[in-house]
Amino acid sequence: MECVFGLVGKGFALIVADSSAVHSILVHKSNEDKVMVLDSHKLLGASGEGGDRVQFTEYIQKNVHLYQFRNGIPLTTAAAANFTRGELATALRKNPYFVNILLAGYDKDIGPSLYYIDYIATLHKIDKGAFGYGSYFCLSMMDRHYHTGMTVEEAVDLADKCIKEIRSRLVVAPPNFVIKIVDKDGAKEYAWRETVNM
Amino acid sequence: MGDSQYSFSLTTFSPSGKLVQIEHALMAVGSGQTSLGIKAANGVVIATEKKLPSILVDETSVQKIQLMTTNIGVVYSGMGPDSRVLIRKSRKQAQQYYRLYKEAIPVTQLVRETAAVMQEFTQSGGVRPFGVSLLVAGYDDNGPQLYQVDPSGSYFSWKASAMGKNVSNAKTFLEKRYTDDMELDDAVHTAILTLKEGFEGQISGKNIEIGIIGADRKFRVLTPAEIDDYLAEVE
Repeated sequence: MECVFGLVGKGFALIVADSSAVHSILVHKSNEDKVMVLDSHKLLGASGEGGDRVQFTEYIQKNVHLYQFRNGIPLTTAAAANFTRGELATALRKNPYFVNILLAGYDKDIGPSLYYIDYIATLHKIDKGAFGYGSYFCLSMMDRHYHTGMTVEEAVDLADKCIKEIRSRLVVAPPNFVIKIVDKDGAKEYAWRETVNM
Repeated sequence: MGDSQYSFSLTTFSPSGKLVQIEHALMAVGSGQTSLGIKAANGVVIATEKKLPSILVDETSVQKIQLMTTNIGVVYSGMGPDSRVLIRKSRKQAQQYYRLYKEAIPVTQLVRETAAVMQEFTQSGGVRPFGVSLLVAGYDDNGPQLYQVDPSGSYFSWKASAMGKNVSNAKTFLEKRYTDDMELDDAVHTAILTLKEGFEGQISGKNIEIGIIGADRKFRVLTPAEIDDYLAEVE
């Protein structure tokens, strides 16, 4: 029932993720942050198997940091996405990670970009995308309302529309969501959308 | 690397704190054929003498200047076979980088990895240091770059540099002639003049090699005919 979706706007990229940590029928917590700040200008929204999600995303984050320490320059978003895909691909036929990822970043000469990386190491560069049961609703909403060059207000409005659909139409809908944005000034948390206070 | 019986390093410190093997390796470089490189505002040129041991050698089969990637080229002074091993390793490292990140390796990083290999051979069992210094010319997002890598594994970025037999004369000549706003064509002319300074015999497109890389980021070795054209312009 996890849900992660994202889109690219004018000079920024946005990732939204639900924040429930679920184990069978029990909700452990409803304020779990599933959108990791990979580095100063990258966001990694991940959904999937509990242990795998944290282990894998932390591994990617540390390797991205290591590159920056070693070489004095950060990885581009594309390079980080391809590195992530490569790690998933290598593990796939031995010890697969069950994690779906949306990687958003801002590069100085390229602008904002969003990458879809699923658990079997599919990689796509996209303008909008979503994972989970919520994707059935998000993708349709985005197909209807998304256009290139959206402002932050328009994009957050679209995100809210998607969240509304998930809440009303998904049988075990997650109550809370986090919205994070990355633009030329960096990656940061934009807002939470809570119906259950934790 | 090396036999199990030779798991100790053959490169050891002298009482004065020097690694004598590396000094000797630098001597091997210093008695090799002259090579040089010049970084221009819009590209890099590297060049070397191509003196073959006999007139019977088919000079078209010999190419000293090599590509490491499409946008990075290299020339050496010293032992040719040693340079081949290094270039082979570096080419693989560049491709491994591409496999990991799906991006071309930055020049600085390839130089650093090549230098790391050379350093390894000064601190491993049963091996000797490489008897070459490399001049690496590349063009990437940081613009044109020229690096020299020594047998010790140290590397330096140069605006212009020379190595081999005629190194001191060549460097003095380059110091006088180098300007920061040189264009690639001027740099090629200067490179030819520098080689000419210490050249024994008649210089021609058949006994020198020149490699250039410009803003198009494609490293290429000039044909003997193109070199002859530049030579004619220089005269």
